[in-house]
Amino acid sequence: MLRAAALVEKLGIPTASIVGSGFLKQAEVVAKGLGLPLAWGVYPGAPMVDSEEELRRKVDESLAPGLLRGLTEVNPVEIVRSAAEPEPMSVVFSGNLDEIEEHYYRQLWTDGLPIIPPTRRRVEAFLRYTERDPNDVIRVLPQESREATILSIAVNGVMAGCRPEYMPVLIAVVEAMADREFHIEHAGSTPGWEPLVIVSGPIIKALDFNYGQGVMRVGRQANTSIGRFVRLYLRNICGYRIPPGAGDKGSIGFTFNVALAEDEDTAREIGWPTYGMDQGFEPTDSVVTVRSVVAITPPTYSGGARAIDHVQQFADVMGATFRYWSHTGMKRGFWHPLVVVGPSIARVIAGEWSKNDVRRYLWENVTVTAERATHYARMTSTPTFSLERLVAEGVLPAEYAASSDPQRLIRVFIHEAMTGILIAGDPGRNQSRGYMGNHDQGVPVSKRVVLPRNWTNLLRNTHV
Amino acid sequence: MNKPEELDQRHEVLWPLSRRAVEDRPLAPRLPDLNGKTVCELWDVIFRGETIYPLVREYIRARFPRVKFVEYSEFGNFYGPHGDSITEELPAKLRAHGADAAIVGIGA
Repeated sequence: MLRAAALVEKLGIPTASIVGSGFLKQAEVVAKGLGLPLAWGVYPGAPMVDSEEELRRKVDESLAPGLLRGLTEVNPVEIVRSAAEPEPMSVVFSGNLDEIEEHYYRQLWTDGLPIIPPTRRRVEAFLRYTERDPNDVIRVLPQESREATILSIAVNGVMAGCRPEYMPVLIAVVEAMADREFHIEHAGSTPGWEPLVIVSGPIIKALDFNYGQGVMRVGRQANTSIGRFVRLYLRNICGYRIPPGAGDKGSIGFTFNVALAEDEDTAREIGWPTYGMDQGFEPTDSVVTVRSVVAITPPTYSGGARAIDHVQQFADVMGATFRYWSHTGMKRGFWHPLVVVGPSIARVIAGEWSKNDVRRYLWENVTVTAERATHYARMTSTPTFSLERLVAEGVLPAEYAASSDPQRLIRVFIHEAMTGILIAGDPGRNQSRGYMGNHDQGVPVSKRVVLPRNWTNLLRNTHV
Repeated sequence: MNKPEELDQRHEVLWPLSRRAVEDRPLAPRLPDLNGKTVCELWDVIFRGETIYPLVREYIRARFPRVKFVEYSEFGNFYGPHGDSITEELPAKLRAHGADAAIVGIGA
C-alpha cells in the first residue's frame, strides 16, 4: 500500500496513508526502504472487529486528524538520512563462537538457532561454486531495498549451515524469489505464508536431497539448511523480522519449510512427467521452483487399486482444508495448490490416469457454497466481497455467478491446470499431502540451477 | 565435545546484510489549505474502507468546505487482480482528475 503512496509522492503529489496501529512498525520499515518519510494517519487496533460506533470514534479521534496533518503540515517529517552501514565483505565483528552467536542474535541477524560464523574463508569457499561476480546484483529487493548480491547469498548460506556446493541452488532460489512474478514484497503479510523450495533434476542426487520417507522433516542437510537459508535471507536482505524486529507481519505464522525434492525415479517408472518437466524444463535440467505455502492438509491416507479411490480422497481432504481460504484466490482469479503424492499411490493412479486427469477431477469435484466463500472473505478483510462483481470484472469465470442462489456450489480450484503434482514421501506407506499457496503472493517461479564449469572437480573436494 | 581452546578460537566474521540501493528523498510539498484542492482516494479494497473513507471525507470537509474528493472507485484496486495495470495507469489518471493530494489505504 505504501508503495502506491511512494509512487504518488514521486509525481509531486502529497499523500497521507491509512495505517493500522498494528502495522506501524512494518510501515516504518517499508517507508525507509522506499527512501521516503511517508506521512500517515493511524487507525488504532483492528477495524475488522470494531463496531460502527467504535470505528467512527477512532476515525474522528485518531485516523482523520492524522491524515489531515499528513496532507497539510509542511514536510511533517524531514528526510531521515539512514545511518552509515558497513561495506559488503567487511568484517563486522571478531570474537569466539559464543560471542559471535550473541552479537548476531542481538543485531537481529539470526533466527535464534546457532549459525556457522561467516568468515571470509568460508564465504570464499561458497563463491568458488559460481562463476558469477560476488557483486552481481540479482535485484534490489523489497522491503529494505537491499541488493540481492551473489555475496549476500554466500554469507547467509554459510550462516544457515549449507555446504559450499549448495551455492548454485541458493542462487537459483534467490533468483526465483526475486522474480517480480513471485511478489516477495508480500512475504511479510499477515497470513504468514512460507516459501517452499522444490528441487528437480539431477541435482537432487548430486547433493543428496531426501525425497523419500520423512521428506519434509528437518534432518537431511541439503533439505534442511536450504530451507533455513530462505528464512535467513528474507530476514537479512528483505527485512522480514518478527518482534523485537519489524517488517514481518505474519500474525501467527509457522516455521520454515525444508526444501522438497521429487522422487523422479518413480515418476519415470510410472510414465508421469516430473514436476520439473511440468514447469517446462528437460529431465536433464536441474531446476529450483519457489512457491508459497499458507496451509497444509493433514496426512492423507488412501487405499484401493483404482485411481478414483485415491483421487477422491485427495478431493475430500484438500476440499476440507482449502475450502475456507479459497476466497483469497477467487479475489485474484487464481491460486496454486500442490499435491505431494506418495510413490505407492502414484503407481496406482498412473495405472489409469494421467496427471491432467487428476487435475480435472479436483477441479470438477472440490466445491464450496457461494454463501460460505463470501462469508469467509467478509470475515477476513473484505466486507465488499462479491462473486458477481469479480465475474463482471473478468477475474472469475462466468459460472461463479451462474445463479443468485447463495447455496450454489462454486469451484475451489478455479482453473483445471493450476494444480501442481509431485511424487515424494514414504514408498512403504500410502500417504499423500496437499499444500496451498497464498493466492498471488509467492506464485510458483522456476529457475534453472547453473553449475560452474568445474562442478565435477569441485564436488570431489567438498570440505571447507 | 569441543576442546576449550576451540571454544575460545576467535573468528572475524562478515556482514550478513547488503547495500541499501535507495536514495532518501523529501516528500512532495504539503498543502496548508485544502479549500479548492482535489484529494484523490486510492484503496486496496480491504479493512472496511467503504466505511472509513466516507468518514474521513466528512471530517476533512468540516474543516475545508471547498475541498473536492475523487472517490476510490474512479481508480480501481491497486492491490487487486488488475493491480499492475491500475498502478501503471495511476499517474495519468491522477493528472486527468487534477489531483492535488491523495489518501492511500489501507494497511502498510
